[in-house]
Amino acid sequence: MKIRSVAIVVASMLLCACATSGPKFSEMASSMPAAKTDMGRIYFYRTTALGAAVQPDVRLNGEVVGKAVPNGFFYADRAAGNYQVATETEVERKLTFTLDSGQVRYVRLNISMGFFVGHVYGELVDEAKGREEIADMRYTGTGTTP
Amino acid sequence: MIVPRYPFRILTVAVVVLLSSCAPTIVQEPTQLAAGTGKSFRLTRAAEVRLSTGYSTTLRANTRWELVGTISQGEVYRTRDQVVTLEGAHIHEGYVVVKQGALVGFYLPVERTFSPVTGSQPLSVEP
Repeated sequence: MKIRSVAIVVASMLLCACATSGPKFSEMASSMPAAKTDMGRIYFYRTTALGAAVQPDVRLNGEVVGKAVPNGFFYADRAAGNYQVATETEVERKLTFTLDSGQVRYVRLNISMGFFVGHVYGELVDEAKGREEIADMRYTGTGTTP
Repeated sequence: MIVPRYPFRILTVAVVVLLSSCAPTIVQEPTQLAAGTGKSFRLTRAAEVRLSTGYSTTLRANTRWELVGTISQGEVYRTRDQVVTLEGAHIHEGYVVVKQGALVGFYLPVERTFSPVTGSQPLSVEP
């Protein structure tokens, strides 16, 4: 009986962790404000619910811009320049890339096996692939512009 | 005291998991880019480039590459047709470095460093 109760609690926690609210990208894409002309946009998204309880902060040049929520997405508008995306669980993983004015970048937040905890890391993906993969993700952010 | 039934097997699995989660870092050498423009090429055949970290990166066929400058190791080209990244412990965006028609490494624009490939790789290109 005790094992059953524990299993129910664990299952509930997992389901809560998987449930991402907010509108889908495909539903809000047309109403989303465009980035200012002198800025580029970086979309962050996480397609997998694997390791759903592991949701580290996502830092962009040291500033927290969102969380790696399964099936969620958010974005940050930034001036052209060099950027570093960092995520940390038991190790810190970094992604570096450039951003031009008017450019749109897609960063997929993947999870890989770790020793005790999974490692979440950002991967820069092609625009076409990013647009396709982000379509069903749900908005978890507030949109950040410095 | 509880003694695991297969201690060596458990230890082996633990070591494998630990090693698989620790990729080596990308080799980088400091370099200086002298900006340049006016040259480009089209890659006619895909090129798979093996990295010293064990990962590989693929340069797709039919991608156009524009000169962005020169470093002492060769000419630096960038494409807007695909994302090029180098993966190790971290992931870095890279531009290709070409010398005498062969890929000799990558220029990392954020780090401003050169990352060599082991053995230059000839590229199939056309203007």
